[in-house]
Amino acid sequence: MKRALLLSMLAVAACGKDRPRTSSAGGTDLLTIGYDREPDTMNRYATHILEDIESCVVEGLVTNDEKMNVVPVLALEVPTTENGGVTLRRDGGMDVTWKLRPGVKWHDGVSHTSADVKFTVDAINKGDWKPESVDGFDRISSVDTPDSLTAVVHYKEVYAPYRLQFVRGTLPKHILDGKNIDVASEYNRKPLGTGPYRVVEWKTGEYILLEGVPNYWRGAEFPKIKRLLFKFLPNTTTRINQLKSGEVQLVALVPWDKVRELRGLPNVRLNTVVGNGYEHVSLNEKHFPPFAELTVRRAMAHAIDRNLIVNTLLDSLVTVVNGPIQPLSNAYEKDVATYPYDPARARALLDSAGWKPAADGIRMKDGQRLAFTMITQSGFAIRENVSQALQKQFRDVGIDASIRLIDGTSISSVWFKGDFDAMLHWWQSGADPEITLFFAADRTPPAGRNVNYFRDDSLTTMLYASDRTANETDRIALLKQAQRRVAMLVPELPLYNTSKVDAVPSRLQGFTGNPTNAGPFWNVWQWQLTAK
Amino acid sequence: MIRFVVRRVVQSVPLLFVISLLIFALIHAAPGGPLSTYLENPNVRPEDIERLRKAMGLDRPLGFQYLSWLGAFVRGDWGFSYADGRPVLDRLIERIPATLELVGVACLMALIAALPIGIIAAINRKFDRVSSVFAVAGISLPVFWFGLLLQLIFAGALGWLPSSGRESFDGGDIADKLAHLILPATVLAAALSAAWSRYLRRAMRDTVARPFMRAARSRGLTERTLLLHHALPNALPTFVTVVLLDVSMMASGAVVTESIFAWPGIGSLFTEALGKRDYAVLMAFLMCGSVAVMGLNLIADLAVHALDPRTRDAA
Amino acid sequence: MTTVTASTRDANRAPLIAAALLGVLLIGAALAPVLAPYTVDALDLANRRAAPSATHWFGTDELGRDLLTRVLFGARVSLAIGLISALVSAAIGAAVGAIAGYAGRVADDILMRLTDAMLAIPRLPLLMITAAVLQPSVPVLVLLVGLAGWMETARVVRAEVLSLAARDFVSAARAIGASPARVVLRHVLPGVLPATAVATTLAVGRGILLESALSFFGVGVQPPTASWGNMLYQAQTTMTSEPWLAIFPGAMIFLTVLACNAVGDAIGAQKS
Repeated sequence: MKRALLLSMLAVAACGKDRPRTSSAGGTDLLTIGYDREPDTMNRYATHILEDIESCVVEGLVTNDEKMNVVPVLALEVPTTENGGVTLRRDGGMDVTWKLRPGVKWHDGVSHTSADVKFTVDAINKGDWKPESVDGFDRISSVDTPDSLTAVVHYKEVYAPYRLQFVRGTLPKHILDGKNIDVASEYNRKPLGTGPYRVVEWKTGEYILLEGVPNYWRGAEFPKIKRLLFKFLPNTTTRINQLKSGEVQLVALVPWDKVRELRGLPNVRLNTVVGNGYEHVSLNEKHFPPFAELTVRRAMAHAIDRNLIVNTLLDSLVTVVNGPIQPLSNAYEKDVATYPYDPARARALLDSAGWKPAADGIRMKDGQRLAFTMITQSGFAIRENVSQALQKQFRDVGIDASIRLIDGTSISSVWFKGDFDAMLHWWQSGADPEITLFFAADRTPPAGRNVNYFRDDSLTTMLYASDRTANETDRIALLKQAQRRVAMLVPELPLYNTSKVDAVPSRLQGFTGNPTNAGPFWNVWQWQLTAK
Repeated sequence: MIRFVVRRVVQSVPLLFVISLLIFALIHAAPGGPLSTYLENPNVRPEDIERLRKAMGLDRPLGFQYLSWLGAFVRGDWGFSYADGRPVLDRLIERIPATLELVGVACLMALIAALPIGIIAAINRKFDRVSSVFAVAGISLPVFWFGLLLQLIFAGALGWLPSSGRESFDGGDIADKLAHLILPATVLAAALSAAWSRYLRRAMRDTVARPFMRAARSRGLTERTLLLHHALPNALPTFVTVVLLDVSMMASGAVVTESIFAWPGIGSLFTEALGKRDYAVLMAFLMCGSVAVMGLNLIADLAVHALDPRTRDAA
Repeated sequence: MTTVTASTRDANRAPLIAAALLGVLLIGAALAPVLAPYTVDALDLANRRAAPSATHWFGTDELGRDLLTRVLFGARVSLAIGLISALVSAAIGAAVGAIAGYAGRVADDILMRLTDAMLAIPRLPLLMITAAVLQPSVPVLVLLVGLAGWMETARVVRAEVLSLAARDFVSAARAIGASPARVVLRHVLPGVLPATAVATTLAVGRGILLESALSFFGVGVQPPTASWGNMLYQAQTTMTSEPWLAIFPGAMIFLTVLACNAVGDAIGAQKS
């Protein structure tokens, strides 16, 4: 009976069955993207998740390319000390002059001008709405607009990451002036931008449909793909299944344990970029004092077989790394102390530091067992697996790590309170190589992200000096010095680089991926689908 | 009858108050909060967190937060979502039709299957053995596993049906909608129809075994007549209670099913809101869910009174 | 005539097989440390995702752990959650239902409104929030699932008691001055047993399934502890490439619930 009912429903459905596929799989005008979550708002300054969809609509003055370079978009060039765009004032402040690209219009035809830059800074600094972060903006004292295409931003102090100040674009003054931006749902649901696409429809819980604008400033031939459809598919398995069945064609940030399933699919190309984040074990020395011993930390680093973990659990999709700044960054320092897998050395180091194995094989010193709890986020198969592999490798040298999984929402409040021994995780990081937040002695939570509670005065001095250095070459030299010091002191155990794997249709041209939070859609205007 | 309904509605007010207090305490006891997601982003500094906490009113004492929530809720102001700043009521209302559609169709499918299966199983022992195997299978299947299995087979391997969503974005005709409905509705209906047919069969068999049926049997009526004309009417009250109670349980099934099939209903809204600790949306969801369930319970009781002549006078 | 005897014999044999199966499962779970061919957390990264073979009857998982071992240890957790939570539910449910149905209007009103309140809050969402608050562990889950599941039993029992209490033989017993406790125990309780048995057997399966649903949202039993639910959850990502990881725990859930239901049916059939 039930089967008969099901069959008849199948028959009814049969006439519509091809629809989800033909609508996108063969054509060149529509690209369907399986997206892991629905944005909270399309306002780039207010959202706290990746801005992939937003960035197709609202362009920044600059963006990050696939090599992590800062490249101009709505600005004519990136201001630097060399090209005269950045000048240091006698009072310790700094002036940055942004030259805007002429001829750029908002989608409603109004010109994009320096007044919009000034409005953006003022709106954020007025503090009467809830932008996600006012980082950098609160160091701006004022903005001058000598002409409609020039904005001079006056900083109260030298602020090295200034180049990415307007990576999220500008707010349209003529639309938002005098409005409460928090509840300006017109703008927050369908933002006015200058980008290649505009929002046609946002069907809550289902999808956002973008449509190419007719007169994009890069030329009427762009964007080449007429429509982008972002389908919200929070369940990873569902997302991958839809990719396999052709219902979606592009999935950004494929989880590493899913990549295996996608290899060999005829219509899918896997695009891998080295990421700028890194998975690591933070060692909270305030909560578990033995981590304060350099010898213990070094022994732990030697105890981990990172190559084995990478080659087995991660299917060689990522690479072993030795520090917080990643190879793609121009501030990356290759020449640092490393800790190859060497359990014998790890045991010898622990012996030498007075940590002797007790009857159960776990080392002890002065009545303290070398036993701690490692927390990590639940729901990530890879993290659960890696943590268990680490547990075994630590156990082999006489260190007892028990694992506690915590859900994604709770774990941030746990580390924010510093209430853990060790944590397997990675940080979302921007393109700027600033690491002060993670290693300066005074940047422990809540003032920063130094969750190792690590204190080294000389490192702290180097890091703050780098933040106050506007000249890029000088700043990089300081950052390289800092990386060498971090590697020598191993305040945390770096594991591997967080590569980003995107599954794209094999007939998609122009896709490069992007290691930064600019996301893979940073150059969507030049993407093109070739006919089948 | 009307007095009974009025009494129950009046009784439900303090009940809802207790439920709201319980849920509010529970939600706020959960680690993390609406601002937790911000913490993962290094660009967001402690000053930002403090500023946002104040702006969202999360810095006020909990009791004060509850009372101001309650006051506003009673007046019909359900507040704004912490996640996207839109009115909570808007967010709920736009999701409810999808859930009603899914649950409605699933219940219909389950009833259409369960009634004949249950009745025939009570009469025919051979059919009973076959159907009980299927019934047990239906009850034993983990919902999310069954859903993924159906996706793999019908959307993946066979490619007959879309694997998720409510409609194609450029489709939207009846056939397209039905095609999207079949898999999630089947997943929801499977366990229900299995459970319901078993309840019906058992209720009928139990009635047959009762003393007053012996009398009927002694009058020379056939087993079949006994079952259809006497056992079925007697079994219906229990069956209706079970059905209505299970329907009110659908919120749970919907949460899982909607998550797997990316069905844009209130179940997936809840999962999302829980992940973001969107207090305002969570409160509204659970309160609406509670009210809906209490309504169904009332209907269940009324149905029992209406269908079972023995208890009609008792109320 | 012959067909009836044949099916009667079948009907007698099936519960026995089911009971035997349950017994084997319980013994297997109890003796897991002895029976398991490997230690429960022995990793073998070089030999991960191995298909079932003579050395690993059920194959190995993502970390190269022996799946048979994991299934045996998972049985402890899953059976504990299913059985204990069902017993907790049945005990509370039967008590509340019987008292509400028999002890008069006031008790009935209070208890049924309490039942309504518990029933009114959507169960899985409530459990998801509660599990998030309490940090999931096996004892917590047993208690949560048990406390969340007594209401159906209570309502079904109450409905039965109400209609039984209206019957002649109960009125007669009352009339001859039998104490309420005696009436409930001698006349009413046997009458509600079939309904309770069915509700409880279903609750065992439901408990195991609820655990797997909670695992699906990451608030169930946490790895490295194995339960059938979380094993199934972890296997969902590899259902196409390593089906055995999903098949074995799935089959165990299926068999267990099947067995419980068969046994429950038999109990119900005998008492009525």
